Amino acid sequence: MAQLEIRIGNVTLKNPVILASGPAGYGAEYADFIGLEKLGAVVTKTISLNPKAGNSGRRLLETPSGLLNSVGLENVGADLFFGEKLPRLLELGAKPIVSLACEGREDYLKLLETVSGNDTVDMVELNLSCPNVDCGGMAVGTSPELLNWYVSSARQILPGRALLAKLTPNVGDIAGLAEVCQDAGADGVTAINTLLGMDIDPDTGKPIFDRVVAGLSGPAIMPVALRAVYEISSRVRIPVLGSGGITSVTDARKFLAAGAAGIQIGTAIFYDPGLPERIISAVTGAQQGKE
Amino acid sequence: MNMNRGPFQAVIESKEQISPSTYMLTLQKPEGFVEAMPGQFVSIKIGDSTSPLLRRPFSIMDSTPGSLLLLVKDVGPGTSYIVSRKPSQTLDLIGPLGETYFDIPSGEDAVFVAGGTGLAPLVFTARKWAKDHRIGISHFLYGASTERELLTGICREDFTYVHVATLDGSEGFEGDVVKMFNVLREKGALPERYLFSCGPAGMVKKLMEGGTENFKSHQTSLETVMACGVGACRGCVVPLKSSGAPVYRAVCSEGTVFEADDIDWENWRE
Ligand SMILES: Cc1cc2nc3c(=O)[nH]c(=O)nc-3n(C[C@H](O)[C@H](O)[C@H](O)COP(=O)(O)OP(=O)(O)OC[C@H]3O[C@@H](n4cnc5c(N)ncnc54)[C@H](O)[C@@H]3O)c2cc1C
Ligand SMILES: Cc1cc2nc3c(=O)[nH]c(=O)nc-3n(C[C@H](O)[C@H](O)[C@H](O)COP(=O)(O)O)c2cc1C
Ligand code: FES
Repeated sequence: MAQLEIRIGNVTLKNPVILASGPAGYGAEYADFIGLEKLGAVVTKTISLNPKAGNSGRRLLETPSGLLNSVGLENVGADLFFGEKLPRLLELGAKPIVSLACEGREDYLKLLETVSGNDTVDMVELNLSCPNVDCGGMAVGTSPELLNWYVSSARQILPGRALLAKLTPNVGDIAGLAEVCQDAGADGVTAINTLLGMDIDPDTGKPIFDRVVAGLSGPAIMPVALRAVYEISSRVRIPVLGSGGITSVTDARKFLAAGAAGIQIGTAIFYDPGLPERIISAVTGAQQGKE
Repeated sequence: MNMNRGPFQAVIESKEQISPSTYMLTLQKPEGFVEAMPGQFVSIKIGDSTSPLLRRPFSIMDSTPGSLLLLVKDVGPGTSYIVSRKPSQTLDLIGPLGETYFDIPSGEDAVFVAGGTGLAPLVFTARKWAKDHRIGISHFLYGASTERELLTGICREDFTYVHVATLDGSEGFEGDVVKMFNVLREKGALPERYLFSCGPAGMVKKLMEGGTENFKSHQTSLETVMACGVGACRGCVVPLKSSGAPVYRAVCSEGTVFEADDIDWENWRE
């Protein structure tokens, strides 16, 4: 049998191909286009305790082989997520990984308690890296002290559940921060979230986005993500999931070769929803070739 | 139940240039393409390279048993790729996308106002509801910069009256389409029942400032920049009027057609 499974903490995913948090929403939006039940997992849109309206003004701008987004963690909040969105995704036969916002400490602890009370969730991803919100997110992901607090709090409140820490590339030593997460009890790390960028209207001299900065994703950031995964996997024992600009089977193979246990696909599904299933077929084929 | 919404490889049956920069494409309807409603759209992949990266959205101008009609104005790399494709070549598309559509109860009169390629969903509306005899008398008001940019040649049969405006006065009313709307309305020439609009946000805003409050319903199909087209990424939102916290709706999955009065035009920056 082909050994496609990957293990994170005490949870096994049937293959290493995962949808990244955000681009696929709560998963069901893509059910007409992607066989969600065939994937290793679907990381759902990051949720916060309370619903969030998201950012004002323009939210998207295409760049050469890339995409700037300033969505600002618009999400339905924990109640609607656990009441409707998650059950729907489970109904579709998908394996969910629930992405959690790392904002104010009090709300964060309440959010962890909510997850703790829901036994359909066995794996969470802590979004320690959103560049599109003022409070929490990336501010957490750049500070070793805060990272340690957020990860170890989740470790305490969610014993026995698999815990992923999603890192921002907007730091000096990303592998060092991955080690902090490992020491704080993370079972795996996801690298990377979007890179900070911006755009300006040259006629008015004003930034395009209301929040000025936005997150860059897509093929333009692939080399940065690959470098991060390579560095992190040589420094930590826990599995690393690669995210950032994966748009082909070849890209996926590069991430696996760099040390990633699995890969997450985001922006590429916007134009090529067939990609995740093609990567699954390709890795299945490659594994069988090795037997 | 899942629906088959693609991606489809749709074969181009014919391509007709109808103004210096605008083309009408007739595509063979892909097998399994779900029945479309006026205001819905398809999203087209732009070649095999990653620049341009995202699919581009286009309103459905008509959907018959055998074909899909699109109107495409060449404004940049994506549209340029599409209009350079030749008959018998294919376009990779997903659709129909969008949830809400232009709707009218039986026997009502309707006024349609469009600029640019905003004509496409309005033509579909007229054709779709003409089949059910839902629309009584219809007025189509269309504006362009000059006579050569008028696209009304393709839809004269679809409306009872067609009124055109050109900025340079080379044909029809001299001025913009909103000015023409106001003049006709003040003359009492327009039945103020159902108003359907599609065009640049500036046009719709001006239309409302000019006075549309007597209409029973003003439905408008909006355009914003999109990434997923299916309601997942929350990138294509418009603000709705609200007394409390801001409320946003995704144009792709909660539109494209909105009651114009519900939109918070003041806080919408395209
Ligand atoms: C629901 C919907 C229906 C549409 N229907 C039609 C149609 O029937 N016919 C047609 O020709 N066009 C239509 N458009 C607009 C069309 O999608 C854009 O013109 C196209 O994406 C531009 O791509 P490009 O690569 O050629 O140009 P780009 O270089 O990407 O853009 C050229 C210019 O168009 C602007 N633009 C880009 N995307 C959009 C957008 N989504 N809405 C408004 N402006 C945009 C850019 O800001 C830029 O100023 C529709 C858009 C939406 C959202
Ligand atoms: C529109 C959009 C929304 C995103 N939302 C989230 C989010 O809610 N949580 C998160 O952890 N990452 C989010 N991301 C980041 C992606 O999960 C991914 O890490 C990043 O885009 C890089 O991968 P890609 O190039 O394959 O998209 C978002 C990305 C995009 C483009
Ligand atoms: S384009 Fe993604 S939600 Fe509308």
